[in-house]
Amino acid sequence: MAAPYEGPLTTKYIGTPLEFHDVEPAWVVKWPRSLTHFHTYGMLTPFFKGLTEGKLLATKCTNPECPFQHTWLPPRADCPDCYSRMEWVEVPTVGEIYAFTMLDYAGIGIEMTTPYWQIDVAIEGVDTIFKGYLAHGKAEIGMKVKAQFRTDNPSHTILDIYWVPADE
Amino acid sequence: MIKFGKGNLRIPQWSKRVFMVAGGCTPFRKYFPEYKLEELVMMGYKMMLEENDLKMSPQEIKDSIQFAVYGEFADHFQDQLLCEAKVHDYLGLDPLYNVGIKTGGATGGSAVLMGAQAIASGYANCVLVAGWERMDEVDTRTGNFYISTAACKDFETRMGRIYSSYYAPMANRFAMAYNLSEETRAKIAVKNRGYAVSNPNAQQPGRHTVEEVLSSRMSAYPLRFLECCAMTAGSASVLLCDEEMAYKLSDKPVEVFICGGSHTLRVADRRPMDIPLLPNEEPGMYDELLKESGRWPGFESFLAARFAAYLAYRMAGINDPLEELDLVELHDAFTISDIQTYGDIGLRPYGQEADYVESGDCYHTNPHTGQPGKCPANLSGGLLGTMHAVGATGIWQAAEVLWQIQGKYDYFHGHEKWWKRAGKEKPADYENLQVPDAKQGLWVSHAGVGSHVTVGILRKAW
Repeated sequence: MAAPYEGPLTTKYIGTPLEFHDVEPAWVVKWPRSLTHFHTYGMLTPFFKGLTEGKLLATKCTNPECPFQHTWLPPRADCPDCYSRMEWVEVPTVGEIYAFTMLDYAGIGIEMTTPYWQIDVAIEGVDTIFKGYLAHGKAEIGMKVKAQFRTDNPSHTILDIYWVPADE
Repeated sequence: MIKFGKGNLRIPQWSKRVFMVAGGCTPFRKYFPEYKLEELVMMGYKMMLEENDLKMSPQEIKDSIQFAVYGEFADHFQDQLLCEAKVHDYLGLDPLYNVGIKTGGATGGSAVLMGAQAIASGYANCVLVAGWERMDEVDTRTGNFYISTAACKDFETRMGRIYSSYYAPMANRFAMAYNLSEETRAKIAVKNRGYAVSNPNAQQPGRHTVEEVLSSRMSAYPLRFLECCAMTAGSASVLLCDEEMAYKLSDKPVEVFICGGSHTLRVADRRPMDIPLLPNEEPGMYDELLKESGRWPGFESFLAARFAAYLAYRMAGINDPLEELDLVELHDAFTISDIQTYGDIGLRPYGQEADYVESGDCYHTNPHTGQPGKCPANLSGGLLGTMHAVGATGIWQAAEVLWQIQGKYDYFHGHEKWWKRAGKEKPADYENLQVPDAKQGLWVSHAGVGSHVTVGILRKAW
């Protein structure tokens, strides 16, 4: 149990004074922020672990009552059509570029060198389209690509998968 | 959802009619150190109380409000949780209840929808809807990153950390599927930034050429800097009333209809489905188009916008939008998002979006004929030219439509006092962009890559 209050206290300022960003037309102070969040991949952990092992995992609804039984990549644990828990399935690591952009000006913290090709890949048997980046080459709609995995020194993020032209 | 259940398509109906009588806003700037956030909200709110020919004093109106809805996009930017409480207290409205609404770029539209619901239900007969964003507490690239956390943080944010990179793939897909040229896209930037020249509150006004737009710096191919809206500090307010209160307060109230739709945060999760048809569309009319493009809404269109329009047109009894709307304010965060929406809200059938621009219908004055454009878009300057203080945007757009219907464009844009307030000279090439005899207008408030969209309709009611 903490000691009860027993008398006068002296309090000292131990903070770091804020610097000015501007003083006119009003005081604008620099307000530092440095944060670390603890973010869970939850039931999608097998997907991110799979990338580090060179596997591309999607989830598939196997409920015979489900009107759609779709295969999802990005995966999701629960089927939005019938609400049943889905199954993990390995999907082909080849696909076709459905849409793309060349990103020249990225926001702060970008982890790839710019410019780079961001691509959206259609994969046989997958009902959604999967965003990634093309590590080299020139992206075009309809271009065939194959997946590569960052199994050595993985980032533990979605950047552990990337794509290259299929014909090399 | 890719198939609708029986109950999903019920057309919303107010239990009591809803009206809008007044609007206000601040100047919009990249950096606004002169005022704290709540001081900016006060500025727009006071303008709403004082400048809309209301038949009661600001004090009497304040005494009549029972409920407030506040729009703010991102706690990241404000770096202040419960801003609503701070603002509400600053406006002197405690202990009236207030709620904060947050639906990304559609926050303003959603706030109006929630305010309208409070009126329609009878919870209140006089509701303040105010919104704000202060995007100047961080540098631009940090702001780009903050906004990109409105893409999926697990699967998308790291792929760009800037929102243009989530629209750009749609732009490339749209260009291929619907034969959209770079020049048509650029014309939107030229038009809206040009209209912003006449808006004293505009952040990015400018007389540009198509060539300038297309030779401006690339953000994410094919979207250039001049095709992207900026980050803004500012605020906007509107006042909603029931029928009795509306006519007590104003000789020029407008009636409000507004509905919303939603779709996946990740555009790539959008599974193909049948197109919900607008009142003037025929079954089978898109069979050929879908045979070619394969999937709707795909990367080309927004189900959320189509669904909101599907509901709102039926709620308001609008059959042919292009014929019945006198003006629209669309969510031109990017040139492509503006164009994508034309099909969704029926300004053109899907696949013919570019024609809304090329025909001249989208201009105040049709450049081909010199006659008034059939249904001008974003005479306010839009997001490209005037502002995207995200939580305020859909509220400000509504105010701009309201003023057009009330015939007050020239007062709110041309009067010297607004130029003075903004610290600017009224330009020699100011144009009065009033739409003659405007009776009905629409505004679209839009989030993410189409995650939340409201379609609102304002109709002259005097």
